[in-house]
Amino acid sequence: MIGLGKRGEGVMNCAEFQKVLPYIIETGGNTEEERHLRECLVCSDLVEDLKYIVEQAKLLVPMEDPSPRVWEEIKASLEREGRIKRARLKGRLLGPIPWIGALGAIILVAFAAFLVERGRQQQASASVENTTPPLQTISLNTVPTEQDDEQLLQQVAASRPSSASAYQSNLDQVNASIADAKRTLEQNPDDEDARQSLIRAYQQKALLYELAAQ
Amino acid sequence: MAGRQKMSNTSRSVTLGLLAALALAATASAADKKEFRYTVARGATISVVNDYGSVRLRASGVSQVVVSATPSSSKVEVDAAQNGNRVEVRTHFLRKTGENDGRVEYDLQVPADANVMIRTASGPVQVRGVGGDVSVDADTGQVDVRDSNGHVRVRTVGGPITLNNLKDGFVEATSVGGPVMLNNVAGRVVSVNTTGGAIVYSGDFGGGGQYSLTSHSGNIDVSLSASASVDLTARTVTGTVENDFPLQAPVHPIMALSQGKSFAGTSNAGASAVRLRTFSGRIRVKKSH
Repeated sequence: MIGLGKRGEGVMNCAEFQKVLPYIIETGGNTEEERHLRECLVCSDLVEDLKYIVEQAKLLVPMEDPSPRVWEEIKASLEREGRIKRARLKGRLLGPIPWIGALGAIILVAFAAFLVERGRQQQASASVENTTPPLQTISLNTVPTEQDDEQLLQQVAASRPSSASAYQSNLDQVNASIADAKRTLEQNPDDEDARQSLIRAYQQKALLYELAAQ
Repeated sequence: MAGRQKMSNTSRSVTLGLLAALALAATASAADKKEFRYTVARGATISVVNDYGSVRLRASGVSQVVVSATPSSSKVEVDAAQNGNRVEVRTHFLRKTGENDGRVEYDLQVPADANVMIRTASGPVQVRGVGGDVSVDADTGQVDVRDSNGHVRVRTVGGPITLNNLKDGFVEATSVGGPVMLNNVAGRVVSVNTTGGAIVYSGDFGGGGQYSLTSHSGNIDVSLSASASVDLTARTVTGTVENDFPLQAPVHPIMALSQGKSFAGTSNAGASAVRLRTFSGRIRVKKSH
C-alpha cells in the first residue's frame, strides 16, 4: 500500500503527499491530494491520527483561570443561599482546571508512544526499498531538545559511567548529522535523499535514547 | 660463601612465597566460578544482562543451558533463574562498583534452536551457531554473531558489529558510531544502518532478498563475487561513489543517475535488490577476488 503513486504520471505518491500534509490538515487538500487520501490507507490513517492529536493538543493551551478571589466569592454566595454544602464545593470548584492540562499531556504522550510502536510495525512489514518514513519522529513534538540530551548524558553517567563518553560523542555525531541533512534540505526541499537522511538521523537518535534507557 | 648461601635462601623463600600466593589466587578464582544448568524444551529463550565483562554463547547439541560465570570481585554476583522455558541470567551489583570490580565473564552453551537476548555495556559479545532469534544490544562492546540462520538484530552505540555466515534470516544491524562488517551474510531482509560507522560487506547478496546498507557519514565498501545476482542502486547526497563491478545498466532506471553521486545496474538475473545509501560518505563497489 505504500508509495502506490508513480512520480511523473500526474499521480501523487506518499512522499509527496506527506510533504504537504501540514497544509492539508489546516486548510484541506486539492483534488489530487484528496484523491491520494481516498486511495491510500497509510496516508488516510496518518491524517486521522494527526487530526486527533491536533484536537487533543488544544487541551494543552493554557486556560484563563479566574483569580481565587472569584471562586471564594461564588463559594460564599452559594453557601449563603444554602444551595451547596461546604465540603462538596471545595473539590468541585477548585478541581477541574489543573488536571485538564495533565490529561492532555497524558493523551499526547500515550498517542506518540502508540505511533512510535505502529511506525516500527509498519517498517517491519514494509519492504526495505519501499519503507515509508515513520513520520512520528519528526512531525510531533517528541524530538528531544538540548535539555533532553543533557539529561540523557547525566543518566548514562550515573548508571554506566564507562559508557558516558561514547554516548556523548555519538550524540554529537547524530546531532551533527541531523544538522547536515536539515541544511541540505533547506537548500533543496525536493531532495528526497536528504529527507530520508534526516529521518534516519532522527531514528539513530531515537536508538541512542532507547539504549540509554535500558 | 656464607653470604651467597644466605642470598640463595632468601631467593628460595621469595620464590616459594610467590608460588604460594599464585596457588592461593588460582584457588580463589576457581572458587568464584559459578555454574548453572537448566534443562529446557525446544525454542527456549535465554536472556543475559551483563554490563561489564564478556558474554560468549554457543549452541550445543543438547537440550540444556549451561551457564558458567566468573565474577571479578565480591562486589558483584550472578542471578540465574529458570521460569518455564525461559532462562534469565543477570549480573547483580552488591554495591556501587566500576568496570574492573563489576566485571563478570560468561560462557554459555544453549540448545541450537534457542532464542537469545543479550544486553551489555562495554563487554564483548560472541554468539555462535544459534538457530533461533538473536538480539544483542550493547553500548561500546564489540558484537560478533556467526553461523546463525534466524532473525538477528544487533544494536550498538559505538561498539563494532561483525556478522559472519548468516543465512536465510532477517538481519538488522544498527550502530551509531561503530563499524559494521558483514561476511557471507544472506537473507530475505538485511538492513544495516549507521551514522558515522563504516559498513563493509563481503559476499554475494544471496537468497533473492532485499538488502539495504545505509550510513550518514561512514563509507560503504562492498566486495561482490562475480556470481552475485543483484539489482543494485547506490547513491550519496554529498559524498562520492565508485564502481569497479561489471553491472548492466538498467533499461528503465528507477532513479535519476548523476555522475560521481549515483549508479545502478544488474548482474546476472538481478535476484536480490541491493540499496546502498550515504549522505556524505563514500560508496565503493568492487569485484572480490
